[in-house]
Amino acid sequence: MARVELQNVTKDWGTAKAVDDISLSLEQGEFAAVLGPSGCGKSTTLFMLAGIYMPTRGDILFDGARVNDVEARDRNVGIVFQSYALYPNMTVLQNILFPLRFKKVPKAEAEKSAREIAELVEISSLLDRKPSQLSGGQQQRVALARALIKKPNLLLLDEPLSNLDATLRLSMRMEIRRIQRELGVTTILVTHDQIEAMTMADRIICMNAGRIEQEGTPEALYTRPETVFAASFIGSPPINLLPGELTADGLRIGETLLATRGETNARSVKLGIRPEHVVANGHGIPAEIISAEALGRETLYTARSALGDTRFLEATSAPKYKAGEQVRLSFDAAHSILFDAERDRRLEGVSAHA
Amino acid sequence: MSGLQRIARPAAASPDWSRLAVRARRLGALRRWSLVGFLTLVSIPILLPFFWVVVISFSARTGGVDSAVLWRACAVLVPCVLGYAAAHVLFPARQHRMVSAVVATAVAVAGLWLLVGSDLHLDNYRFLVSPNLVEEIRGAATAGGQFPWVWNAFFNSLAVAATSMAAKVTIATLAGYYLSRFAFRGRSLFLQSLLILEVFHPWMLTIPIFLVIFWVGLLNTLSAPILVLTVIDLPFFIFIMKGFFDAVPWDIEMSAMTDGATRRQAFWHVVLPQAYGGIIAISVLGFIRGWEEYVFVTALRTGNSYWVMSTYLYYVAEDVMGVDYGLVAAVSVFYMLPSLLLYLFLQKYLTQLTLGGVKG
Repeated sequence: MARVELQNVTKDWGTAKAVDDISLSLEQGEFAAVLGPSGCGKSTTLFMLAGIYMPTRGDILFDGARVNDVEARDRNVGIVFQSYALYPNMTVLQNILFPLRFKKVPKAEAEKSAREIAELVEISSLLDRKPSQLSGGQQQRVALARALIKKPNLLLLDEPLSNLDATLRLSMRMEIRRIQRELGVTTILVTHDQIEAMTMADRIICMNAGRIEQEGTPEALYTRPETVFAASFIGSPPINLLPGELTADGLRIGETLLATRGETNARSVKLGIRPEHVVANGHGIPAEIISAEALGRETLYTARSALGDTRFLEATSAPKYKAGEQVRLSFDAAHSILFDAERDRRLEGVSAHA
Repeated sequence: MSGLQRIARPAAASPDWSRLAVRARRLGALRRWSLVGFLTLVSIPILLPFFWVVVISFSARTGGVDSAVLWRACAVLVPCVLGYAAAHVLFPARQHRMVSAVVATAVAVAGLWLLVGSDLHLDNYRFLVSPNLVEEIRGAATAGGQFPWVWNAFFNSLAVAATSMAAKVTIATLAGYYLSRFAFRGRSLFLQSLLILEVFHPWMLTIPIFLVIFWVGLLNTLSAPILVLTVIDLPFFIFIMKGFFDAVPWDIEMSAMTDGATRRQAFWHVVLPQAYGGIIAISVLGFIRGWEEYVFVTALRTGNSYWVMSTYLYYVAEDVMGVDYGLVAAVSVFYMLPSLLLYLFLQKYLTQLTLGGVKG
């Protein structure tokens, strides 16, 4: 269990930058999620931590010591791959024992710890099977056991849940979190699924195009996104982003002028407002409902108004409005997030309301 | 609108479904059985020579073959084999197949014993036990020890086949892995030139190969055919092995290396076991190519420096014995037995060869 740091790490593939000057540090026992779309460099970061890829520039530190030149097999890092990467020619027990094979652990002792770890991930009854005889969820547990048996400095999970069905994913999420807490192992989860990241991790590192967009607690990322990307990537249904002009009079979106509070230097901005914060309560901006989707617990509407197309949620199972119906939309200043359109950063101390 | 309705609606009276079903079943059965009949018919001329060789080897006496024995024996054997083939297709269960195999064998043995039993003998297989076959036939003076005992040729053939097989498998496996996993300058050129080598038939190179072998001083040694056969098969075998390694996911190898294995250990413990199918396939192919080789074992010796099974068979048939069909047939049976056994026991790996190719 180690403290892990990346200092100004860059990875080039030829002329393309897969990872561009990222720095981050993880406390011992912390569970962090690296969240981003495919191709954002999150898997490359993971493989650099594991020692499979060498960073082009920058340093990787375990407990303060530089490990750039330490080979993968000496780093004592456990990985659960997206494909699980179980060894198909070996039984489950042999798979779990594989990492101990090269550590010269006495056989009896190795088997004892394999059985303990199998107990922990609840696969004790499967030890004699071959991976091909296991379901996806069971393979996942075997992969986890194999990664954990070597008491890793760092546990890396590469999209571990993406091959499981929805129900299983839900239970594995809690299961992985339970095991991680029980062992106190420093863990990095790589995922493109924001729900996975938000429910499992203590801290989310949101990546895009090889750079870190924002890092922080799940709540911080949701309520105070620093960039337009972070705002749009996190949250489902996605945040409304309305382009407009900030002037001395207020925020002008199309023909509509919204009241603002705070500093009002003229500039192009984007107004971000989450669907659950838009309300159709009879006053505000007139809009026409163009679609209504029942999501089960609530209904998602899309309304067309002078602001553009706006999504909003109502907490009713049966749709309250039909397509074509006229409503009035409003939202609170406290929930509005304004981004500088040019610098792509959040503007502090300004808010708008309707 | 009315026109559309006319097209979309079925005819007023619904057709006689059961009659249509009966007709379709009959047609299907007819098609199936005519196909089976046709395939059986064309397989007879292919199968017959094998039965003939076996029957001749056990029945012919010096001077000639009694064709009545031949026909009677084949009249027993062919129906038995076809009967077993039909049973093999019809019964998927292992024990049913075993029972039908036993029945077919019993019928064959009983039939042979009844029809040709008195004509069968083992005399033609005397070459297996008598070291001086030629002297027995022609008298001690003529042969002068030129013609070897069959076991001499047998073990030479075994040496050629096994050694070249071992070399081919080792080199093709390592090269296939390297080509599959490592990027290096000239990799695609190397792969293309491997394919180009397949364009030239090796026989076209017989004379240059002879000269090279002569200059390096390996003429008239068994190392010559071993080397040449290895080199001839390598390009194709490397390609096959590359295909098998391409099908092994990267993740598994990376996983092994983070689990504490070196690259070599990862290859040995994790990657190689998944290419066993390919290794067995090229082993069988490689062995049989060496076992059956005739051209290069003949071309690379200038006298009777070494004998292998193919040259032994050739001399039995052409040079020494004249027309002792019984002996020729017996040697042929002895010669083909190892290849046949290999094919029988390892054919499931040979069919994987195409699979590996498709995956790769």
